[in-house]
Amino acid sequence: MTLPAVVLLLVFNYVPLFGLATAFQEYDPLAGVWQSPWAGFYQFERLLNDSLFWGALRNTLWLSFVQLILFFPVPIALALLLNSVLSERIRNFIQSVVYLPHFFSWVLAITIFQQMLGGAGALNQFLRSNDIGTWDIMTNPDTFALLVTSQVIWKEAGWGIIVFLAALAAINTDLYEAAAADGAGRLRRLWHITLPGLRSVIVLMLVLRLGNALTVGFEQFLIQRNAVGHDTAEVLDTFSFYYGIATGDYSYGAAAGLFKSVISLLLIWGANKLAHAFGEDGLYRK
Amino acid sequence: MGIELNRRNFLSAAVSAAGLVAMGPLLSACGGGGPSRAGVNSEAGLKAVLPTYVPNTSIKPDIPSIAGGPDVLTDPGFLGYPTNRVVTVSGVPGKGGKYSAVTPLWGTIPPADNSFYQAMNKALGVELQVKPADGNNYNTIIPTMTAAKKLPDWINLPGWWNPQFNTGGLVGNQLADLTPYLSGDNIKKYPNLAAIPTAAWRAGAWGDKLYGIPSFSTGFKVAGVVFYRRDVLEAKGITADQVKSADDLMNLGKELTDAKAGVWAFDDVYRYVYTSFGAPLKWKVDNGKLIHLYETSEFLDAADWHRKLALAGYVHPDALAGDNAGANTRFYGGKTLIGGGGQGAWNLADLQAGQAANPNYRRGAFNFFAADGKSTPRVDMGQSTDIVSYLNINLKPEQIEECLAVANYLAAPFGSAEYTMVNFGVEGMHFTMKDGVPTPTEAGMKEVQAKTYPFLAAPPSVVNNPTGDIVTKDLTAWQAANVKALAKPVFWGMNISMPQAQATAEAAQPVEDTLKDVIHGKKSIQDLKDSVANWKSSGGGDRLIQWMNDNVLQKFGTGQ
Repeated sequence: MTLPAVVLLLVFNYVPLFGLATAFQEYDPLAGVWQSPWAGFYQFERLLNDSLFWGALRNTLWLSFVQLILFFPVPIALALLLNSVLSERIRNFIQSVVYLPHFFSWVLAITIFQQMLGGAGALNQFLRSNDIGTWDIMTNPDTFALLVTSQVIWKEAGWGIIVFLAALAAINTDLYEAAAADGAGRLRRLWHITLPGLRSVIVLMLVLRLGNALTVGFEQFLIQRNAVGHDTAEVLDTFSFYYGIATGDYSYGAAAGLFKSVISLLLIWGANKLAHAFGEDGLYRK
Repeated sequence: MGIELNRRNFLSAAVSAAGLVAMGPLLSACGGGGPSRAGVNSEAGLKAVLPTYVPNTSIKPDIPSIAGGPDVLTDPGFLGYPTNRVVTVSGVPGKGGKYSAVTPLWGTIPPADNSFYQAMNKALGVELQVKPADGNNYNTIIPTMTAAKKLPDWINLPGWWNPQFNTGGLVGNQLADLTPYLSGDNIKKYPNLAAIPTAAWRAGAWGDKLYGIPSFSTGFKVAGVVFYRRDVLEAKGITADQVKSADDLMNLGKELTDAKAGVWAFDDVYRYVYTSFGAPLKWKVDNGKLIHLYETSEFLDAADWHRKLALAGYVHPDALAGDNAGANTRFYGGKTLIGGGGQGAWNLADLQAGQAANPNYRRGAFNFFAADGKSTPRVDMGQSTDIVSYLNINLKPEQIEECLAVANYLAAPFGSAEYTMVNFGVEGMHFTMKDGVPTPTEAGMKEVQAKTYPFLAAPPSVVNNPTGDIVTKDLTAWQAANVKALAKPVFWGMNISMPQAQATAEAAQPVEDTLKDVIHGKKSIQDLKDSVANWKSSGGGDRLIQWMNDNVLQKFGTGQ
């Protein structure tokens, strides 16, 4: 039964790894991998000397950091909040409402933001018509990190609570009853029962998040790149796209992609080590 | 906003971005020896193979063409729709062959195997599987096919993407050489193809050989036009001839912008005005020295002008946010009054869409002007067409002949029976005649009006907007007024194919990115200068200029 899955994994995940060879070539799509001349580490040399690449890396890390601080706790808090709502109907209703944006495409999500907060959007037209001046939100490079994080929260926070809700459901309710009988208040129960019950899941999610630190999204930045300028919105994935694919400089794009993969591997390895050091399971039990 | 995404290009992008750029290369890994590139057209060599021009005179236009300089000609205008549907192809051209075709479509993709496609297959006598692909993402879809050497039998490769597609490297390697079939008098076997002017065939010629079949060719090709809402501006007493300089245009910004009412004078117009500052389209030769656009001071002047336009608050905020896809909506809704675009935007569909928003809607275009208001207006003419289709090299000679016979059908002149079939479908099913004009039915709107076949082959452009004669008159009058301004730039029609490193340098992504920031008022001219300097030294710019000088200018001249 696992054979199809293994084949799928091989064909789409492992076989294409072969193409990483292009990162060490002057790859020419017409010549193919076999005929393209080898270039050794030339592409990586170019990469490390390219200020645009460093800019993209810096943006990626900064956005990742901001999202870690501002986005990561939101689904946990939301899950705790939902869990405390007793009425199942209200809970289901709220859950559906916060879920929904996850199914929107980024194009739609950003269009909604643009229509509401853009220079000619609802908010600014209101401000303008009341002579209050305008508020530049969608094209301001300085607050871009906050903008994209709020977009991520709006779109993905509801989806993110699923795993935490599942973990909450797994906590033995006897513990709450026992604690309540012993006189523990709401906060004490949260601190001594709920959070410890969630801890392993939170750590797992954190390890995964850190491993993906260099992946902050692609479409979201591709679409808003012109709005705030590439200096601010360029992340590693859009860098690979624009400077690799769009201009036909495939080897360069491959080198940027490989660089990202190697760093990501190191990050996830490090985060997992850290989790084990704190006595948590991390990705797997030691 | 602005970048148009769909699942397909997202997938290709995601695959590559994840460090697995490999799918294409992997599939192509079994390819043969290294490719030779087709090189450049030389004037003498190309003249020897260009097809003979045999114009079709069976259908007379209401507004005849007006000639400008060499190869410059306004498009003929037709009012209404010709009543006498001349038949130019006897019998069915095909012999039952089966072919796949991919073309770009800027619009909603019709359902596969619909009634129109079936009717076309019957009329053509072949099983032509047309697969229109989203035009906005075409430049990201095609490279995956070429990399995998999986091109369809017949494909449209728009000329403005030649460097990205490496069309010059594909011809002869993946695309078939049509010279034996079409050169000189050979083309007379296909009379409708022979009625396409000689200059148009240059667009698909590489290394002095014929590869491409031109569609929508014209003698009046410009990079773009600055359009304005004629109904709105004339109501304010502003006419096109009042705009004679860049300052005049800037002044309109102040006059027309009313942000409180949600109206901004301009959309992003940089691409459509920069040559009026005297900047070349891309290259110019000064006293024998080859100069790239980025090296000219006029380029900086044009960017600075648009930067001021943006900073003054005359450009719509959504345009500054990079949302190009919404430009038409803004123009129709009167949220912007001046915008840029290709002449193709000026047609009946545009009139109808505009009138749906405002019954008085009328599109107008400013005449070409020199930015200083004093010099003679001059605009670099583009190739006769950018819409060129190619056949797969794997086709056998008899298959190529069958496809060319099909192309001959598709290129039937405007108003002919075949043209009516290709552009309107079957009478009664896809269109009905109303007031002497073929009017699409609902099925026709969906299946036929999403134009697909003309991207494989089409007759030379005419201006015709049945039920919208005002558009035909406006456009032909505008062309007539501007025909003297058109001139051939250096390297016109030479189809230069360059090595990958040079093509990457020519795409100059970092400079184009910076330019966008500058013309939207986010960066300074100094940033642009720095970016250009960086492009020249470490972005391959100097090497590109050197390469163009050594391999094109010195060897083949300027083509003039």
